[in-house]
Amino acid sequence: MGGPEWVTAVNLIIWTGLVLWISRLDRKIRDLERER
Amino acid sequence: MKRLLALSLWLWMAVVIWAAFHWAPLAAGFKGESSRILFFHVPVAWVSFVAFMTAGVESVLYLAGRRDPRHDRSAAAAVELGQVFAVLATVTGAIWARIMWGSYWNWDPRQSAIVVTMLYYAAYLALRQAIADGPSRARLSAAYAVLGLVVSPFLYFVLPRLGFSLHPEPVINAAGKLEVESRMLAVLTASSLGFTVLFYWLHALRRRLGAVAARRDEGVE
Repeated sequence: MGGPEWVTAVNLIIWTGLVLWISRLDRKIRDLERER
Repeated sequence: MKRLLALSLWLWMAVVIWAAFHWAPLAAGFKGESSRILFFHVPVAWVSFVAFMTAGVESVLYLAGRRDPRHDRSAAAAVELGQVFAVLATVTGAIWARIMWGSYWNWDPRQSAIVVTMLYYAAYLALRQAIADGPSRARLSAAYAVLGLVVSPFLYFVLPRLGFSLHPEPVINAAGKLEVESRMLAVLTASSLGFTVLFYWLHALRRRLGAVAARRDEGVE
């Protein structure tokens, strides 16, 4: 796998992880809001 | 609905990432593939500016309105995120500078300007830490962030153009003309839009978390 393909793959993995993490954070905050 | 928005943003930026590395052409005068970093460096720098402006506008709303603490929390959240995006802009810019100019740091006017901006808003956060939670903290920090509505545009757009700079011409050059290849401009615009939506998503989360913490504190007191 060459340069741009490798960098694209790494970027996509980081981006996917970030979106999943933020979505999880969103759910946790919603749970906190419901607790009140 | 939120899940759909998150999925749309994920897909949008996934396409941007692919386009940045495979569809957009390389910019003339840049070493190797280094111009591709600009599809991420310029948008994060732009978003840091949007964040600081958001903080300023929220602070105006706080001072001009009924001193609603939600505006105060919103301004603080915007500054925190603005700092994160400013650090990202600095790091991506430094990586690019190493490739193009041979050194991570060159005290170029744009590099210096973003450091001064980060120091300015670090002082905002320090100010908030120095005063106990309450109306006086909100009022003072709002006044400081309103001043940022003048300071930030000056540091982002005026100061870097005053003297000699190693930095490439901005997207809109000194003559006010767009001189970017159409595919590069499309990726740059799409990336800026995606990062802006990401910022407002994170901003909403931080505001909501701040509101939960504030309600909890009220309950304790």
